[in-house]
Amino acid sequence: MQIVWTSTLHSYMPIFVSFLHPLQQSQFLFYCCLISLSSLHAGKALNRPILRFQSSSWVRTVSRTGKSRGPEEPRIGVFICHCGSNIADIVDVKEVVDFASKFPNVVFAVDERYVCSEPGQALIRENIRKHKLNRVIVASCSPRMHETTFRKALEAEGLNPFLLEITNLREQCSWVHMHEPRKATQKAKVLVASAIAKATLLEPLTPMKFSVTPAALVIGGGIAGIQASLDLANIGFKVHLVEKTPSIGGHMAQLDKTFPTLDCSACILTPKMVDVSRHPNITLWSYSEVESISGFIGNFKATIVEKARYINKSLCTGCGTCASKCPVKTIPNEFDLGLGTRSVAYIPFPQAVPLIYTIDKENCLYFTKGVCRVCEKTCPFKAVDFNQQDKKVEIEVGTIVIATGYDLFDANRKPEYGYKQYKNVLTNLEFERLISAAGPTGGQLVRPSDGRAPKKIAFVQCIGSRDILTNPYCSRVCCMASVKQAHQAKEKYPDAKVFVFYIDLRTFGKGYEEFLWRVQEEGVNLVRGKVAEIYRKPKDENLTVLFEDTLLGQTREMDFDMVILAAGLEPRVDAQQIQKALKLSMSPDSFFLEAHPKLRPVETHIAGVYLCGCAQGPKDIPDVVAQASAAASQASIPLIQGEVVSEPTIAYVDKELCCSCKICESVCVYDAIEADETDEEKRAKVNEALCVGCGSCAAACPARAITMYGFTKEQISKQLAALLTEPT
Amino acid sequence: MSAHDLTQKHKLLECIQCGMCTGVCPVSKKTNLNVRNYMREAAVYGELPRHPENELWSCTTCATCEARCPKEIKPYEFLIDIRGSDVEAGKIATTLRDALESVFKNGNPWGRIRSKRTEWTQDLAVKHYAKDMDFLYFVGCTPAYDPRAQEVAKSFVTCLEKAGISFGILGTEENCCGNEVYGMGEKGLFEHLAEANQKLFRKYDLKQLVTSCPHSYHTFKNRYETRNFEVNHHTQLLANLIDEERLAFQKKLGKKIIYHDPCFLGKQNNIYDEPRKIIESLPDVELLEFDRSRERSLCCEGGGGRMWIDIPGPRLAEARVQEAIDYGAQILAVACPFCLSTFEDAVKTAGVEDQIQIKDVAELLSQTL
Amino acid sequence: MTEFEPVIIGLTCNWCAYAGADLAGTSKIQYPPNIRIIRVMCTGRIEPEFIFDAFRMGADGVLIGGCHLGDCHYQEGNYKTALRVSITREVLKSLGIEPERVRLEWISASEGKKFSETVKSFIEEIRRLGPNPLKGAPEA
Ligand SMILES: Cc1cc2nc3c(=O)[nH]c(=O)nc-3n(C[C@H](O)[C@H](O)[C@H](O)COP(=O)(O)OP(=O)(O)OC[C@H]3O[C@@H](n4cnc5c(N)ncnc54)[C@H](O)[C@@H]3O)c2cc1C
Ligand code: SF4
Ligand code: SF4
Ligand code: SF4
Ligand code: SF4
Ligand code: FES
Repeated sequence: MQIVWTSTLHSYMPIFVSFLHPLQQSQFLFYCCLISLSSLHAGKALNRPILRFQSSSWVRTVSRTGKSRGPEEPRIGVFICHCGSNIADIVDVKEVVDFASKFPNVVFAVDERYVCSEPGQALIRENIRKHKLNRVIVASCSPRMHETTFRKALEAEGLNPFLLEITNLREQCSWVHMHEPRKATQKAKVLVASAIAKATLLEPLTPMKFSVTPAALVIGGGIAGIQASLDLANIGFKVHLVEKTPSIGGHMAQLDKTFPTLDCSACILTPKMVDVSRHPNITLWSYSEVESISGFIGNFKATIVEKARYINKSLCTGCGTCASKCPVKTIPNEFDLGLGTRSVAYIPFPQAVPLIYTIDKENCLYFTKGVCRVCEKTCPFKAVDFNQQDKKVEIEVGTIVIATGYDLFDANRKPEYGYKQYKNVLTNLEFERLISAAGPTGGQLVRPSDGRAPKKIAFVQCIGSRDILTNPYCSRVCCMASVKQAHQAKEKYPDAKVFVFYIDLRTFGKGYEEFLWRVQEEGVNLVRGKVAEIYRKPKDENLTVLFEDTLLGQTREMDFDMVILAAGLEPRVDAQQIQKALKLSMSPDSFFLEAHPKLRPVETHIAGVYLCGCAQGPKDIPDVVAQASAAASQASIPLIQGEVVSEPTIAYVDKELCCSCKICESVCVYDAIEADETDEEKRAKVNEALCVGCGSCAAACPARAITMYGFTKEQISKQLAALLTEPT
Repeated sequence: MSAHDLTQKHKLLECIQCGMCTGVCPVSKKTNLNVRNYMREAAVYGELPRHPENELWSCTTCATCEARCPKEIKPYEFLIDIRGSDVEAGKIATTLRDALESVFKNGNPWGRIRSKRTEWTQDLAVKHYAKDMDFLYFVGCTPAYDPRAQEVAKSFVTCLEKAGISFGILGTEENCCGNEVYGMGEKGLFEHLAEANQKLFRKYDLKQLVTSCPHSYHTFKNRYETRNFEVNHHTQLLANLIDEERLAFQKKLGKKIIYHDPCFLGKQNNIYDEPRKIIESLPDVELLEFDRSRERSLCCEGGGGRMWIDIPGPRLAEARVQEAIDYGAQILAVACPFCLSTFEDAVKTAGVEDQIQIKDVAELLSQTL
Repeated sequence: MTEFEPVIIGLTCNWCAYAGADLAGTSKIQYPPNIRIIRVMCTGRIEPEFIFDAFRMGADGVLIGGCHLGDCHYQEGNYKTALRVSITREVLKSLGIEPERVRLEWISASEGKKFSETVKSFIEEIRRLGPNPLKGAPEA
């Protein structure tokens, strides 16, 4: 009988199966199958049965790759650190040295006050030379602290840096067993024994080098993407800037004035937008999306889809004749959040970049009813082209910057505020459009219900933010945005009563607290207490706001004729598409996750991909711009270096053992291991540039064909044996 | 429980003092009950709040505070625990004590004897529940004893009979569900009732229960530990029967009806559509909506033991009735015996009997059959 | 008779649980020395066989520590581990080894306290269970 056998447990089998009752044996086989299958993603099936170990002599004692590991007979040096008194006060360091020196391959063992110090490193180097050491063990603090330091010491002596093993006697021994010095010493010995066990199996590893395409891709054309593109282009690299909507500018283009200095948003933004369109190094792909991305740092390939505008971009001069002649002029303008209207042939706003009109196919009479074509007839430049198709372009870049920004929280998710139900309840972004001179009311701040000037306005903070039911985080910009808007309201109507209802007013930035004081002086009332509910008395568009003034401890109701909801910032609904294409990680709040919150704030876990702006988390424009420049600078490093090296602690497939089952292919989320199409048997092969060294494939491979450099099965097994042998 | 224990149990230190709970609390303006302050005293200063009895006992356990809280804290559960210690210490109003004693002795809080529990069925042929029946109708104390609420029970029974549903009641075996007892903080007695009821349900191998009271609905559904039977509110069952066309409408109503969402049905159990569906399907009616409806419905002040303690001050039920009249409604429809009772009172005090009627959805339905 | 001192093998990922253990150290949160840790890059590296090996070689318990679900540095490593571990437990059960001897915990780099609490409670649990039933069984 032929069994389709797909287990990761094969080597363990001979040991246990012999203990089993026949009935248990079949149950056991079933489990083994399950374990392997658990490694599989749904949908991918095995393409052929695997039967590789019929003989009982198939036991896990020989090295699977058959290669002898390491350069030559191991000569190990052990350096045990006192860490001043941090380790030595608890662990009997001398005793550990004695213990270590008794191991067969250990040719030298010593203790030292601070191994990481200059003299400590010199000691390592000197003894590498003196004792011809080819493996070094440092027993000290966590390997997460000084691994690079010690690797450099090895390298300085011409030793491969990966022949180093660090064992953690401080964070995971002396510091956590401070009251049990005897036991801590015993544990230290076991840990050192384990390091020795692993060291004997260490092998030299060499990082791979790849050349780099000297160009960058920036996704998202808000202020973040604009800044990053300009910086990269000014350094001298070719930049492809991809923007989904017909114009760059993002949310900043929708703002009227910006806190705390109150510069007009358009005045500071439009010059930058124009710079983008004029820069010889920047190719602007507007009304375009990135469809797919493959490759790796230095060598990404991206497919960009340029959507059909039905207007020829090289002929259109932006004269606007089409828009003015188009008979359909009542389409809610997305840019004005539906507060204003536009024609079917449109630009989102007058300063749009590029200044090219777009025909909105869904509402166009010609596309929906087959009649009209007025724009085609009237366009003085014959730019209208109803036969235009979406265009796919493939580009090659070395690095990628993600600047896809945010979505505004949908206030409908909080029914207690009656958004969309009451005409005079608006969001903060709608307020920006209302007060903007270029907006739908020409800058008149009026009630949508009756066009009257409001006399009493409430700003309600934290809509959707700081709330477990929606977004637990603070959106960071809404406090200042509301304070700014309160000021603007007061400026328009000095006699109006303006209230801001808040939980905490967070005015942390440079000049922000001072701005708040100024606004208080102008007569804006600040009330500490989140608004609990808004309702409308029958037959009246006035709004009753229900709240507790928590400083008074009083519940109150107040009537307003306009309420502005400070809606928070959210991850974009479509962020997942980019996340999947690039295999990026997300933080729990669903914004893109940086590689390290403090030390690598603009990098991602994927080499060559960087983050900036609100795509990484809510922030205001000063922070966005600073972060965008940081991302540009990081993204330029590989481009300037011209070549990249990859971590060598990755997976390797031994073709002799691979049985082409493709299980590894299905577990690898990075598509780093795939059937080698050039191989007759289609056995697996690792793409060294893509592999991040997680080890998932090695754990799943039923044929044990995959070696995880730095964490091999043999190394871990030897470590286990050492850890489970009581020291003498 | 000490202030410390309560702080732990209710995660009070996680409160960000936003004031939503108190701001939205329907009784906070009337009695100065400030649940946020109460919690803060316990959490920050380790002191059990000592405030006038009227404040503590004004909470209707409507749970709006919980619904709004951005930190998933349940302020009213904290108040219930505070009440619990008062109950234990015997420091409660005599009316409350009588109600609790009556539950213990007679299985109902109305001070009525057990044998009278089935009095309302006199002119009807309601059967005792048996294992092969489809539904157990859990009547509940108020519909069983309160003359006005009895009408609802009778109407509901009529609807069930017309639809040909096999159902029965537990008669004098039926016990108080315990929801109000829980709300009054007497959790020991609540456990006792829950156990007795569950034993009874097991005895009859209960599969489907229907009740015309949102309070018992809530308690069976969310507070009873083991529940291997399904719970339905009468509006759910009736809406279903209409859907399946098992009820034939005969008469027109010709009324403008406004519906009031009971806290225990709406906010606490998300049942908003079924009652509306029933009203809309009645012949010749216009369904009106309060501005504050559904998740934002105003509390009628009937829950949390408030039926047995009078808290002076303006009544929300009166404001609600007036609002209904302002909307031009001729009938204010309810789906809860407590709402029925508070609104009926409000109509009488305001003297607006000629302008508006209070009716349970089941009554409206049975009128048209 | 001296009290039974369990030997626990810890298998932790570099990014979360190992870092959490380091944090317990830097915060000087004490726990008993019965645990010995092997660091791997991701719990996704952990083969069921490591666990079997550990028991075969005499470990009394195996603690696997990874990132919280959704936080894995390599996206899904910990999901794979969760599945593999649960099935591994089944196999252990059928072999007469209490499945409670394998514990899987998600411990972030900032949860030093959780790490030490986990170790403490796990040691206690293993103490209750007694020594590894395989101890003394013939080596294959
Ligand atoms: C009401 C309000 C008022 C504010 N006022 C101020 C203020 O006064 N001062 C201040 O400093 N900050 C203010 N802010 C914050 C400010 O809006 C942001 O800091 C800033 O706009 C963020 O820029 P961004 O480029 O990161 O994101 P965005 O502006 O959101 O830009 C992202 C761009 O990427 C594009 N995009 C998204 N996904 C894709 C994709 N898959 N492919 C291609 N393109 C894509 C989008 O179309 C968009 O153009 C305010 C915010 C609000 C809500
Ligand atoms: S075809 Fe007609 S409707 Fe369409 S864009 Fe041109 S003018 Fe407007
Ligand atoms: S080790 Fe490399 S090849 Fe294997 S699953 Fe992880 S990333 Fe993929
Ligand atoms: S349950 Fe209702 S009445 Fe009681 S405190 Fe909460 S909101 Fe107020
Ligand atoms: S709503 Fe919740 S967080 Fe806000 S004050 Fe009340 S209990 Fe605290
Ligand atoms: S990196 Fe921690 S579990 Fe994957």
